[in-house]
Amino acid sequence: MSRSDIVAGGLFLALGIALLATGAAFPSGVGGLPGAGFFPQIIGGVTALLAGALVVNSRAGSAGSPVEIENIRHVAGALGLLCLYLLLWGTGFFVIRTAVFLLLLLTFLGQRWISAAVCSTVLTVFAYLAFDIGLNVSLE
Amino acid sequence: MAERFAGCSAESGRESMLAEVLAGLLAVLDWQVLAFLCAGVCMGAVFGALPGLTATMGVAVLTPLTFWVSPEQGLAMLLGIYCGAIPAGGIPAILINVPGTPASIATSWDGYALTRKGQAGLALGINALASVTGQLASILFLSFLAFPIARFALQFGPAEYFGLALLGISLMAGVSGRHVLKGMLSGMLGLSLALVGLDPMTAYPRYTFGLSEFLDGISFIPVMIGLFGLAEVLVQVSERRAGIRSPAATIGRVIPSASECKSMLGATFSGATVGTMVGAIPAAGGDIGSVIAWEQARRTSPDKAKFGKGSLRGLAASCAACNGAIGGAMTTMLTLGIPGDAVSAVLIGALLIHGIQPGPLLFANRQSFVFSIVFLMAFASLLIMAVGILGARPLARILRVPAPWLWAGIVLFGSVGAYALNNAVADLWAMFAAGIVGFLFRKAQIPLGPLVLGLILGPMMESNLRRALILSRGDWTGMLARPILLLFLVGTVLALLWPLIQRWRTTRVSGNQDASPDA
Repeated sequence: MSRSDIVAGGLFLALGIALLATGAAFPSGVGGLPGAGFFPQIIGGVTALLAGALVVNSRAGSAGSPVEIENIRHVAGALGLLCLYLLLWGTGFFVIRTAVFLLLLLTFLGQRWISAAVCSTVLTVFAYLAFDIGLNVSLE
Repeated sequence: MAERFAGCSAESGRESMLAEVLAGLLAVLDWQVLAFLCAGVCMGAVFGALPGLTATMGVAVLTPLTFWVSPEQGLAMLLGIYCGAIPAGGIPAILINVPGTPASIATSWDGYALTRKGQAGLALGINALASVTGQLASILFLSFLAFPIARFALQFGPAEYFGLALLGISLMAGVSGRHVLKGMLSGMLGLSLALVGLDPMTAYPRYTFGLSEFLDGISFIPVMIGLFGLAEVLVQVSERRAGIRSPAATIGRVIPSASECKSMLGATFSGATVGTMVGAIPAAGGDIGSVIAWEQARRTSPDKAKFGKGSLRGLAASCAACNGAIGGAMTTMLTLGIPGDAVSAVLIGALLIHGIQPGPLLFANRQSFVFSIVFLMAFASLLIMAVGILGARPLARILRVPAPWLWAGIVLFGSVGAYALNNAVADLWAMFAAGIVGFLFRKAQIPLGPLVLGLILGPMMESNLRRALILSRGDWTGMLARPILLLFLVGTVLALLWPLIQRWRTTRVSGNQDASPDA
């Protein structure tokens, strides 16, 4: 039995039911013709049916690729740092903010401080020159 | 214009076609366009040569760099990345037995065996030459067959377009191997995401949650960057794939001898043909094409036993096929507006941003642009030959770059690129969310391709279905009277049932073997 299939099936089932319910709330079409809720309801119905089939079928599924706890910590840490970087987007100087983010990310991923500092500086300066100076995208 | 395209006299048609060909060539012969093409090929070679970075990721992450240039310049760079990454994916496959892109899986079977025999240079040379042959053969396919296909597609009405979109998504789900159900659900999620924004017929806002950023729908490029860039980084971090083995110290001679070239000729051309045909099927890309071509070359070869142990024919067939798939995929994308593979799905998004809608009308209204694409791909192929032969040694050296440096670069350029599209922070969050979804999908073995296809084809599918129903006054059976639609619907059913039929046949064959007296 594949637990990931059951979880995925459950989430897709919820999506299908949500689409069916919200689609019914959209205005219907004029003269029996399809309105704004027509397609969401079709998609929702088919999604719910397929999700149900996935849950039923999950007994035959393989367990998927396992993730070790240590590596989950790495993924969560990298995502947390990126989330923080995106939350701070638009505050302070792009160059400083980005260089610090990359430095923290690289050291978190096991790079030594010196090589992380060199890499983060090079990448930040390159991104700034390419986008802010070269393409006129305001990154501040 | 469309009428002229469909039914002009033979002579005037030939003259105007020649004028369009020349206009397309002149647009490409601009030094800036050629510079963008060179830059694209070089960047593509780096993306392809580094395991973990794919052509799809390269095109998705670097598409934002093309927003500020002309469509020809932007497309030159993106096509350069596409045409450069696929052959370069063979470099790590040959040197360290790790395919640089999914398309080069079959390349590693004979390529790495040659490296172990001390013939790494020869394998790299064959990779470059067979790749160029494959690309050029598929470009010929594009040049000669794209216009007739587009002319045929001009007969399509809303019902046929709906059927075509349905077939495209079904084919992608159907080639998801053992995970057809998951492939279909992935496509459904793509179609669900495509619902966000204004209703295409009545402009009623759907699933915008009151946010004006969502009125235009979910931005395609940030989602692609998240699904193929950020998600791949997260997968590699989760698997701690930081250590890449160093490539072989000696490369040796790169150019194959005349007798070696002669022995590989048949396998190269059959590989190119198979690759082009497979690439033209929506969703089936170079990865599938190269495996089929390798197997076909093995079956027809006099030295079957050498395959997988350093066969030059096997290597040439797989390299030609995975590159032949490029032209096949581009033909489907340009003529029908249906992506042939994940890279062409991202390319559709890039073209739409430049105001170009792929499909039969592109061939009616912007013929010179179509020819520009053909010439760009041909020039990119020739550049790749130079990069592949002269740059084999330097490209082998970049395999020593630490993986975390690459991850940091992808995350940074993905974020800045996603933001640069509309200067909108909402796009950054779309990329972030897509990255998490892509990571979870990869871990749960849910294919990402159908999701992308659903997102692209969703609006086309919905608006054409509703238009068709309006035209038939809500009568579904009236729609079914259209033969081309029926053909697409039969194809859809077959595409979805095919994996089940295959499983049933496999079970029957193994059952027969068990029951036989020899067993």
